[in-house]
Amino acid sequence: MFHLRLLVEYFKQYMKTRMSYRGDFLVQFISNFFHQGLNLVFILVVFQHTPSLKGWSQAEVIFIYGYFLIPWAIFSSFLNLWSFNDRYIIKGELDRVLTRPVHSLVQVIMETMAPESLIGVLTGGIVMGVAGWHLDLDWTWYDPLLFVVFTLGGVLIYAGIFIALTSISLYTDSKSDIQPIMFNISNYGRYPTNIYHKIIQFTLTWILPFAFVGFYPASYLLDHGEWKIYALLTPVVGAAYLAFGIFCWNRGIKHYRGAGN
Amino acid sequence: MRSIEARGLTKEFKVYQSRPGLKGAFRDLLNRQYRTIRAVDAIDLTIEQGEMVAYIGENGAGKSTTIKMLTGILQPTAGELKVNGFDPHREREKFVKTIGVVFGQRSQLWWDIAVQESFRLLKQVYQVPDADYKQRLDRMIEVLDIGGLLDQPVRKLSLGQRMRCELVAALIHQPKLLFLDEPTIGLDVLVKENIRRFLREINREFGTTVLLTTHDISDIEALCSRVVMLDQGKVIYDGGLQELRRNWAKGKKVHFELAREVDMSELEARTAGMPLRWERKGERQVVLHLEQPDLAVSDVLAQIVQHVHIVEMQIEEVSTEEIVRKIYQEGMTLA
Ligand SMILES: Nc1ncnc2c1ncn2[C@@H]1O[C@H](COP(=O)(O)OP(=O)(O)OP(=O)(O)O)[C@@H](O)[C@H]1O
Ligand SMILES: [Mg+2]
Repeated sequence: MFHLRLLVEYFKQYMKTRMSYRGDFLVQFISNFFHQGLNLVFILVVFQHTPSLKGWSQAEVIFIYGYFLIPWAIFSSFLNLWSFNDRYIIKGELDRVLTRPVHSLVQVIMETMAPESLIGVLTGGIVMGVAGWHLDLDWTWYDPLLFVVFTLGGVLIYAGIFIALTSISLYTDSKSDIQPIMFNISNYGRYPTNIYHKIIQFTLTWILPFAFVGFYPASYLLDHGEWKIYALLTPVVGAAYLAFGIFCWNRGIKHYRGAGN
Repeated sequence: MRSIEARGLTKEFKVYQSRPGLKGAFRDLLNRQYRTIRAVDAIDLTIEQGEMVAYIGENGAGKSTTIKMLTGILQPTAGELKVNGFDPHREREKFVKTIGVVFGQRSQLWWDIAVQESFRLLKQVYQVPDADYKQRLDRMIEVLDIGGLLDQPVRKLSLGQRMRCELVAALIHQPKLLFLDEPTIGLDVLVKENIRRFLREINREFGTTVLLTTHDISDIEALCSRVVMLDQGKVIYDGGLQELRRNWAKGKKVHFELAREVDMSELEARTAGMPLRWERKGERQVVLHLEQPDLAVSDVLAQIVQHVHIVEMQIEEVSTEEIVRKIYQEGMTLA
């Protein structure tokens, strides 16, 4: 409850700062919107020429992609950790965070959130909607519920993995390129995993479980029963990876050496 | 309750060294070499509630590192530590509610938002009740004279303006213990005086314990009765400012202006046997160095005043600044 109230406070501050650069805010919002729209057109054009993949129709591939955009958009709105190393380690803002009575990770998340990325949810929803409409899916009453649970599970998986990676900065302030690499790997989750080699399938399921942020849940929503078990595991995998990420973070905080001199 | 209790508090840093050249880089990859720096070396420190203590030492002595352990930012390498009854790093979230922190070199406020918004956010973070918040804030705004700054973003404030706001931010939850790491660095005399007065006030009124590091000796003279001096991570002095002066200010200097030129040998002859030294500064100017603190100026005067006509006389105490400089240069062992 305390954290929720705090989140609202931080969000208000975020809006105020955004508004205080009023011109900026509008321009950014509009450009964001166009950027997403352009993305959407691009996707549709590309998929016009995509044949079916190993038993997946074109519409199904597009549906999976649309789904894939949603957890990603939510994750990047609330865990905008990309500049953590610069801002908190090199510029030393973590010192300040550590003198405040709220968990350090929660503070960092609230200070860096970028709710404007939520527009990706809209894009994803539209892509999914258009594709689903072509597919004539057979949804039951609890499928929308599962959709929400799967999405949250996916967000937790991203969160866990990227929090764990960000924790590396707590041990060393040298820059690493591992985050962009991980981002690229995460993109594998947007295609049906059965098109990949067995080793990659295994990796995307059990090591870097990006199949759970796109393909597995989407295939379930597409009424493909083969991956049902995996789809239902999404929240469990999410919880496990989040726990791992937080564990890494807490260990890292013990090793934190303070802002350099 | 004691504010701070540290036994054998130690912090070591591993500093990795890179070897030159490609071959060196490759060898570093396999087996990195490092050196261990003991920034804080087994210090013992006890500070009672309500004390105002100056923590001084040369650059790199380990002051900031100590403060970071005491505030829970860093985990100590070794030693026992209780601050306000908590283990600062282990019980960080509960503990930091009982302290306030100001780092002169680094802002504790949010850079982009207006000062009053920062305060409001801190009110939420520390869960300060509305009435207390309003009363404390109004008072501090008045004493520190920051009323006109409230709607400015922190990044637009001057250093002196920012420091006063930092103090308010550190005290919104009325902590029992306040840490200040170089709070007056780069400030003008008026702002320094304002801040010092404010600190004395909260110490007197609320019994707030204050631990401050500084390179400005006048801060100590204005605020602290107790001084802890650090050198290469070790405490080399812990005691009163007066004792420090007494033990180290080996006597004083007296400047004389005489009515006519006097032979140094005459002065020396008349004060023979006394622990002092005469020095000629000009034709009629001489300086008397009293080399023991218990030698009174009047005793010397009694010897010469009937034979030498003194036009003017000025007694000069050794400044604390000089004393501290001397200790930094020569070390404490010579005492
Ligand atoms: N994060 C760190 N990594 C490695 N060494 C460090 C680190 N922080 C401090 N040190 C070293 O520890 C020693 C003490 O530093 P510290 O900042 O505590 O000194 P200080 O007394 O505050 O000095 P100053 O008066 O310059 O502020 C220095 O030798 C410094 O180089
Ligand atoms: Mg320092």
